[in-house]
Amino acid sequence: MNSYFVKRTGRAILTIWLVMTLTFGMIRLIPGGPIEMLRARLIRQGVDPSRIDAIVQTYKQDPTPVYVEYYEYVTSLLSGNMGQSFYYQEPVSALIVDALPWTVFVMVTATILLFVIAILLGALMAYHEGTAFDTVASSASILLSSIPFYVLAIGFVVVLSYQFGLFPARYRVGPGVEPGFTVQFLSNAIYHAALPIASVVLTQAGLQALAMRGNSIQVLGEDFVRVARLRGLSDRRIAVRYVGRNAILPMYTGFLTLIGFNIGGSVILEQVFTYPGIGYYMYQALINRDYALMMGVFLIITTTLVVSVYIADLTYGLIDPRVQSGGQSEAY
Amino acid sequence: MTQSHDQHTEHIAVDDPIIEVRDASVTYDEGTSYVLDGVSLDLGRGEILGVVGESGSGKSMLASALLDAVPDPGLLSGTIEYHPDSGAATDILELDTEDLRALRWEEISMVFQGAMSSFNPTMSLRKHFVETLEAHDEDVEAGMDRAHELLEDLYLEPDRVLSSYPHELSGGMQQRALIALSLVLEPEVLVMDEPTAALDLLMQRSILLLLDDLKEKYDLTMLFITHDLPLVAALADRMAIMYAFRLIEIGQTEEIINHAAHPYTRALLNSTPNLDAPLEEMRPIEGQSPAPINMPDGCAYHPRCPLAEDQCRTEVPDFHIVAGDHGSACFNWRESYDEIELVHLDDGERAIPEGDRQ
Repeated sequence: MNSYFVKRTGRAILTIWLVMTLTFGMIRLIPGGPIEMLRARLIRQGVDPSRIDAIVQTYKQDPTPVYVEYYEYVTSLLSGNMGQSFYYQEPVSALIVDALPWTVFVMVTATILLFVIAILLGALMAYHEGTAFDTVASSASILLSSIPFYVLAIGFVVVLSYQFGLFPARYRVGPGVEPGFTVQFLSNAIYHAALPIASVVLTQAGLQALAMRGNSIQVLGEDFVRVARLRGLSDRRIAVRYVGRNAILPMYTGFLTLIGFNIGGSVILEQVFTYPGIGYYMYQALINRDYALMMGVFLIITTTLVVSVYIADLTYGLIDPRVQSGGQSEAY
Repeated sequence: MTQSHDQHTEHIAVDDPIIEVRDASVTYDEGTSYVLDGVSLDLGRGEILGVVGESGSGKSMLASALLDAVPDPGLLSGTIEYHPDSGAATDILELDTEDLRALRWEEISMVFQGAMSSFNPTMSLRKHFVETLEAHDEDVEAGMDRAHELLEDLYLEPDRVLSSYPHELSGGMQQRALIALSLVLEPEVLVMDEPTAALDLLMQRSILLLLDDLKEKYDLTMLFITHDLPLVAALADRMAIMYAFRLIEIGQTEEIINHAAHPYTRALLNSTPNLDAPLEEMRPIEGQSPAPINMPDGCAYHPRCPLAEDQCRTEVPDFHIVAGDHGSACFNWRESYDEIELVHLDDGERAIPEGDRQ
């Protein structure tokens, strides 16, 4: 148990360090840069070339050796300093602290919701295997799963927001809504998050429902379910403790890793809904060549994924008695 | 022909039956083929009846039928009467859901062949016992005391076993724990469907000895289903032989082993491997047993039977009384004595060594 714990922790830290280093290296390989971006913008604005040179000169720094830069990068990261966003003129950490809770709110809610729906729907399909309901629900699940979430998201924006005006098409909350634990703020936040959440839930629930259906059908055929019926247990108890529990267990790891993946997937989703979470900032950083912000968000997204896999590995042994955190249960 | 002097009967009755099965049939396609075909059988109070047959001869179906638990979508017909110690007999197949739920496990209990797959893998053994007691509105504390005693009778450490998960126990321990679980509500009848099939020989032997003790202590009636003829011969009072979904011979164990009157039973006895017998004496039965969708007319054994004649090909034989309560579903049972010699008896040896009999 202990050596397993140490091993998993070590591997998680190593992965994050590798991501940090790769980010550092890769971003330096991107052609152009904030200075080029600034120069291009000033030229477009028709500023006098000699003045442009002077402005650019104020941002220019003496070239420092790469290893010094790397050392400074790592030490400041460890102290929580991710540098200054060139485009927003704010510390990256401040931007992330502001944006991350919103992304987590949308994606964690969506992932929990889609699993709850998938588990209930999948179990129902399994219990009614072969009926018309099963056929219709399975086909609908496959159909919805084959639609990319951003296609559905764009459809939602066009139809529900612009055509009918039922839902807002942008921002976390409406203008003038004060943050705080008020009914107005919370309901407004949910109202704005409804479409992003719906597009994730609708496109991802189907696949999980089919997985749950398959697991449940397999468990329903097990001897221990038949023995439980003969022992006189109620159908409800058999459905929850026997079928449900044994069918859901294999999906637990998938659930945690999907949260991680979805937070990464927020880059496109938040762009579609102009929802200022970390994914939205990632996109802004990309088009504005804002290296510091790009690195910050990239690090947060990968760290979230690594942490969710790490949690799945450490906790699986707690929910499945057959696994004493022995190592066979590793998520990745 | 001597047949005209034979006494025939539909079934071999016993004096004090606890279960009377009459014409029990199971079909999966509404009557075109049967996986249990008109079985009539008495289970005497307090006896151990061994049911022997090849794989796919319908013996597990018979076991499930006794609890009206034939897997869906099988259709069970006939009557299965249960005679409790006191009170009126009930037809198990007529019971409503609630009464059937009460009868199962409280009166007639069952041990399945795969103990490893009979427990919920994500639940401790104690939970299995407690929820069974709760489901039948029993006093949990008194019931758990009983469970402790049962586990001790089966040479298990009750506290250790009860706090374990199924995967933490060996196959033999799981099988014994399953037997304890099946007896926790103090049933009258225990149906065992190949309870030792997945175990090694030593464990099989020791579980059989334990079953004999349990039967005495708890005054049980047992129906023991197996394909292992020598194994059950050491335990059973009476034996019933099944072939192709029908019961073909039934009688006292001694009678069956020494004076089997059905050609199939005699062939089965001769085909049983015996370490003491030389290899040349092994007599496998030629051919294959029929599938339910392709049952021959008349006696199902006739395509493989050396004694088959016209009557066997057209008519299904009922039980011919061989002696006392020994019945054989064969028209030519007298000829079978001469035609099919029991090889082990020729050597002056019995198919079952004397020492193994209880």
